[in-house]
Amino acid sequence: MIRNVHASRLIEMHMSHIYPVNDYGPLMPGLVMAAVAIFHVFLAQFAVGGGFLLCYFQWLSMTGRNQYAKLFVHGYFKVLVMISFVMGALTGVGIWFTSIQISAPTIGEMVFNFHWIWATEWSFFCLEIVAGYCFYRYHDRLTDKAALTLLVLYTFAAWASLFWINGILAWQLTPGSWVESRSIADGFFNPSFWPSLFFRTIVCLTLASLAGCVLVNMIPNLDRPAQQSLVNRAAHLMAPMVAMPILGVWFLMAMPPDSRGWVLGGSPAMMLFFMISVGASVAIGGYAVIGLWMQRLYINGATATLLLLLAFGATAGGEFVREGSRKPYSIRHVVYSSGILPEEVAELRRIGCVSNDPFPLMHEPGLPNETVTLGAKVFRRQCAVCHTMEGSNAVAHLTESWDADQMRMNIAKLQQTKPFMPPFAGTPAELEALVSYILWVQDDRPSEYAVSEDQAVLQQIAKWMDEAGTQAATVTSMEREKR
Amino acid sequence: MNIFPFNLEPSLCFYVVVYVLTLVLHAIFMTYVLAGSIYLAWASMFPGKTAIVRARSPLAEVLRDWMPFALSAAITAGVAPLLFVQIIYRQEFYTSNLLLGWRWMMVVPVLIVGFYLLYVVKSKLISQWSLAARGAVTVGVAGCFLFVAFCWTANHLLGIDAARWPDVYATGAVVSSVVSLASRLMMWVSGAFPVMCMLALWQLVYYRRRATDVASVDRQHSGPQFVSEIRVLARMGLGGLALSLMFATGYAFTLDAQIRGEFISDGIVWAPFLVVGGVFQATGWFRLLKSEGDSFAIRVLISVGCLSMLVAVGFLREMLRISKVDLTVVNASVKAAAGVGGFELFVGFTILNIGLMAYCIRLVNRRTTGE
Repeated sequence: MIRNVHASRLIEMHMSHIYPVNDYGPLMPGLVMAAVAIFHVFLAQFAVGGGFLLCYFQWLSMTGRNQYAKLFVHGYFKVLVMISFVMGALTGVGIWFTSIQISAPTIGEMVFNFHWIWATEWSFFCLEIVAGYCFYRYHDRLTDKAALTLLVLYTFAAWASLFWINGILAWQLTPGSWVESRSIADGFFNPSFWPSLFFRTIVCLTLASLAGCVLVNMIPNLDRPAQQSLVNRAAHLMAPMVAMPILGVWFLMAMPPDSRGWVLGGSPAMMLFFMISVGASVAIGGYAVIGLWMQRLYINGATATLLLLLAFGATAGGEFVREGSRKPYSIRHVVYSSGILPEEVAELRRIGCVSNDPFPLMHEPGLPNETVTLGAKVFRRQCAVCHTMEGSNAVAHLTESWDADQMRMNIAKLQQTKPFMPPFAGTPAELEALVSYILWVQDDRPSEYAVSEDQAVLQQIAKWMDEAGTQAATVTSMEREKR
Repeated sequence: MNIFPFNLEPSLCFYVVVYVLTLVLHAIFMTYVLAGSIYLAWASMFPGKTAIVRARSPLAEVLRDWMPFALSAAITAGVAPLLFVQIIYRQEFYTSNLLLGWRWMMVVPVLIVGFYLLYVVKSKLISQWSLAARGAVTVGVAGCFLFVAFCWTANHLLGIDAARWPDVYATGAVVSSVVSLASRLMMWVSGAFPVMCMLALWQLVYYRRRATDVASVDRQHSGPQFVSEIRVLARMGLGGLALSLMFATGYAFTLDAQIRGEFISDGIVWAPFLVVGGVFQATGWFRLLKSEGDSFAIRVLISVGCLSMLVAVGFLREMLRISKVDLTVVNASVKAAAGVGGFELFVGFTILNIGLMAYCIRLVNRRTTGE
């Protein structure tokens, strides 16, 4: 075993509590999660960066460096409140709800291990709301110094929220020495904490800067030179983008080698999203450096919106990579992406993964026999978080070129067939049932369907499963390296 | 000590206390929004025949002005109990979330719609709209929050009814007893009014004294109108109190006899808080209804009564829920959670942030250019 078994996980293991699984039609649940998460991250980072931008512009106004800055501050803050206070806060709650829908064991472990960090973040969130609302409601009556103080407190609180959440999110990918020590400090200040924090802070500044450029173009009765002066000032917040390549490399180096491998070519989808993120960031950074600083160009509303959309693309790509590179885990060494715990695998191979599943099958009518029905249940328990049967990331499609024996072996040795997949966590009979279910779907769901009852097949499956072992490929390779 | 929650294991007792206290904080803002939105819908639909229509009354103006912030505060304050409920009732909470499925996932978009509609209701623009349009928007806002209230009530009831989970998954029928759900939901909805009235009372008095912030409120804060508004609050406060008591009694009869017995034995310590809270509030509201103005003492009496009842209801609610879970599992899980560390961090930063929040409020009270 790579580490001691954690108390909470032992409890969960012994209880083998099975959560009901909801069907999202052709959408795999992971996509639903990704959509909500990307939207929230974009808004939340905009809110953090917005604070920095407002502090800067308030300072410009107070020191007489830009006579239009105050006009911008008052207009921008209204937008910030309407977007981040409403959508940002609620999509944050939405992430929590969606996480529960997708993988209750994953969010459960995150909350379990870091609930006081989360509660600390909550206290900063309260400060953010109070400082923000005080400014929003009274800014036109406040002295300049008081306004700046409120903006600084708002920004401090918003960035602190990022600081705390960043630790928990980074822990999912790189738990580091926490795996052995179980120290909350080790888990929080994990290997990817700092590069991730700095990188996200720069993303925040960039998003706020671009949104600022859009907003400058929307301020009524502002002439072109005034707009240009504001745009050039807003663009200053994009200056830290020059550090992005270094931070990106730092982050990549902090990633586990297998995860880095997926991003750098091991997984075409992840490589593609990584390149989208890098490409969009280069385009924005290039425009900022050459256009806005060196040539001091004006940027109109349409261009600013386009750049903001590019930034959304970069955020989406980055978040997809962050989520995807954790595979086969949702929390590295703690929970598999299927929601099954690594310590559970051996036991589930003995007792079966659906033997105590109390929930009937709802979304697969006309199952022809008990074996195929069992297979459908196994699919729901082990595959449905990341796959559909015939929709997105469809198992029926992914396996259509395999014959039955090949399918049996590939699933029995799943972590070796595809190292970003977790090991199969069920009995040989359940694996055979899953194969039957997939073949039945591939054969267009006939009303009568013959299944194999050959004991030799089950024995062969058991042999393959034993050969592959119960651990993830990443763990096996790490142990091999240690030896 | 056989008094809930002190009869629980120390770790569980600690988390239950933290959960209830944060839930009460959330409930203060949540009830303001829920009852406030219902009042605004009613005021829009039935403007009355007085000189100042209900929708333009000082109470309606104050509610319109502060409800977006109150919703923001309710959501923010709601994060903490949402966190601790996952520590105490992990399996029950997650399972009921999943069983509610799309209804649960609708909570967030519905809240977003409700939030933006609150800003529409607050805007000057809406006063130019027709009565029907204004009514539709305010009813829409109230509908959004009632839907969220329904989802939370259904979630709670599902969480304490593990035997029904497979059946609910198969049929999608999340409501097992309409009487149970309706009485519990109505208990919270009607109970929201006294809390909202208590907060609005403080606000109206504050505006009357400061006479600076909301122009229309200031104008209408002359004696007779103010007294009339206070009486409206008193009637709503008393009515809400009586209705919540009635629905709570109805809900109690939907519980198992054994659970009711436990309520009486283990929960007896909370009965005085309920009774005293109710008596304080009723006395305060009656005094306001009969007199020509208010006093600081009456407001304090009502506020103490409100808080006392909220805390008592919070603990009794958890007593019922904990009686439905496997305590062996919950105790072990919560004990393990208590060992992960970080509590000192939370206490330290929370003290700092409370200080900074107080500083923000002090700042806007003192550092305005007009002063």
